[in-house]
Amino acid sequence: MNALTALKPPAFMHSDYGPALQPHVAETLDDMVSVPLTDFFPDFAPAITSGDPALLEADLERVRAETRASLASVDMSGISADDSVNILASEHGFGLMGGWPYAEMIKTIREVVMERTGCRKIHLRLAIYRGFREADEVAEHFGFNEVFEGRVKGLGPFDQGVEVDTAVGPMYLIKRAFDSAKFIHAYYDDPREMYFNRLLYKSFKSFCMSYARYETRSVYHSMFGNRSGSVIPRALFDSEFIQQRYTFSSVLRTTPMGVIGVDATTDLYAIDRRITKGHLETYGRMQRLFAEIKDCVAIWDGGRWGYYLHGGGLIFGTLLTNHSDAFDLDQPVVAGFMQSPTAPVNFSRNKSLRGVVVNQAWVGAGIPYVTMPFTSPMYIVGEEQAKMWREDPTNPLLMDRAKVVDSLEQGITMACEKGQTDKLIVFDGSYGHLTCSQSMADLLKERAPAVDKLVAEELLPKWLAQRGLS
Amino acid sequence: MATVKFVADYEVEPCIGCKLCDIVCPSGAIRMEARKPIIDDALCIGCGRCVDRCPEDIMWMKEREVPLAVTVLPEEVDQAAVAALLEKAGIEASVSICVCTLTPGSEIAGAIVKGAKNLEEVCAMTGMRSGCGIYCVAPALRLLEAAGCDMTPPGQHRWYPSTLSLYDLSDEVCAKYPDAFIAEDRALFDPDQKYGPLHKENV
Repeated sequence: MNALTALKPPAFMHSDYGPALQPHVAETLDDMVSVPLTDFFPDFAPAITSGDPALLEADLERVRAETRASLASVDMSGISADDSVNILASEHGFGLMGGWPYAEMIKTIREVVMERTGCRKIHLRLAIYRGFREADEVAEHFGFNEVFEGRVKGLGPFDQGVEVDTAVGPMYLIKRAFDSAKFIHAYYDDPREMYFNRLLYKSFKSFCMSYARYETRSVYHSMFGNRSGSVIPRALFDSEFIQQRYTFSSVLRTTPMGVIGVDATTDLYAIDRRITKGHLETYGRMQRLFAEIKDCVAIWDGGRWGYYLHGGGLIFGTLLTNHSDAFDLDQPVVAGFMQSPTAPVNFSRNKSLRGVVVNQAWVGAGIPYVTMPFTSPMYIVGEEQAKMWREDPTNPLLMDRAKVVDSLEQGITMACEKGQTDKLIVFDGSYGHLTCSQSMADLLKERAPAVDKLVAEELLPKWLAQRGLS
Repeated sequence: MATVKFVADYEVEPCIGCKLCDIVCPSGAIRMEARKPIIDDALCIGCGRCVDRCPEDIMWMKEREVPLAVTVLPEEVDQAAVAALLEKAGIEASVSICVCTLTPGSEIAGAIVKGAKNLEEVCAMTGMRSGCGIYCVAPALRLLEAAGCDMTPPGQHRWYPSTLSLYDLSDEVCAKYPDAFIAEDRALFDPDQKYGPLHKENV
């Protein structure tokens, strides 16, 4: 590892949904490098967080300050001292940089609301993906039970629903999310699966996912295209049910460099416009840079679902699907469950991805990579992980194809030989830098100036115009 | 087709009879008797949701001695009826409705033509929802609705009748959200307009 330029990846939370924590790739292999993203794009502004686990407390102090500064101008007149208020949080925020910045924003929201309004009955509702124990793990790890004095509950897609009338018809939200008179939308702006949301009103997505029953999630993902699906979260947000309870939003703002601040206001549409513009400028560059990779082996090395692990601020899923430009709305389908009869897309088939080595990752998010081992060989390090994958019902076909290897090094050797490549890219939760092989670093550095020019002169103006943000 | 390798089991004595395993079971494999779950191995599709949900941590998945193949084969059902049902619902035959088991629309429709009357029976016959249990639900419910099945939601929030599709949106909605690419996506997914005009009652 090139320690001089390396920032350590974030530390992870242990989970029942993942294997025992392993040393990071960056700590294990000597021939990996850590490239600051400013080596690719010198104009990237620095983040307020260092990303260095050793400097976590200083990072969180800056997040606290940013949250307080942003909340200072928020109209909180909708909350009275006698109200009960739910702060709604979503699970992927806890996958950003180890989850601590998002957790700190949430804790600070509670403090400020109490100070400003006198309200004491502030509850945390932790939306989770699928596992019923995720919320308990998150609450314990981040100390929410103590901070919220026990007023913490999880909520998931299988919990009791509440029917909500919307412009598009009845939808079903999770009753527990709205069991207080008011709520605060505490979000983060990780673009994450941009090939689904296309950065079309991404800030609203929680209303049809995290806060929604599984039927509504299914409607959003399976019954619409990945552009037209944007109507569902907006219809929910605009509904009388939500508007009667909504107070304000507070969003943790990021770029591939890390946390850049907090954006809080009552006007979620305004936040969304700011986020979208910022994302196209920064994540857009990284996404197009990843599209320059024509052969590589990816390594999953984090404490969340492999598909959602970050490297250089982008999730692995972006690498998997970057054979299409997800930001270009003229491209009708990038990925999605609803398929065109004339132009079907298999979104787990990127020929540039020659293999995946799983050093550590949670099982359980099957959808994105059920078929991935059919086209990209997978190597699972260690029998403990292999057993988890074998027993994972969301990936019933994966272990029919994936190989179990004894060590990370063995997996990399086999994947590189099979894939005829020496380029490694690691998804270890990193922001601000990318852990990769020297050959990958050389390629990306060589291509970055042209990508920068292409985005600045052609793509960004088009992306912005398509969204009315020119 | 789903190959079910595991089946749910539990320790009887410490079970508190909370019924949560029954409520989250997607295939109707669990029923309660005398405040204890009775698991029908033939109906269990191995999703493990009951194990994850059990507050007492006394359930587990055990490997089946022989994996259970769960499927509705094309030759088992009238394919003309399957095609008619798919068209009425606006669901493509080849699209993977359950993206965990890769069960196509044609097999879900086949299960309904074969006699499935509700979501649980569709799951038990096809293995659908044995994975994440989330994203396949609306298309399956839409097919059940198109077949004229009773869409009254069962008790205890097992499922709600959510069947909205791109093809249902009214002109008013299109006008309210003009930047949602509704017309463009309709043209993409239904180039021949075989799923008809906008309103669900016309489907």
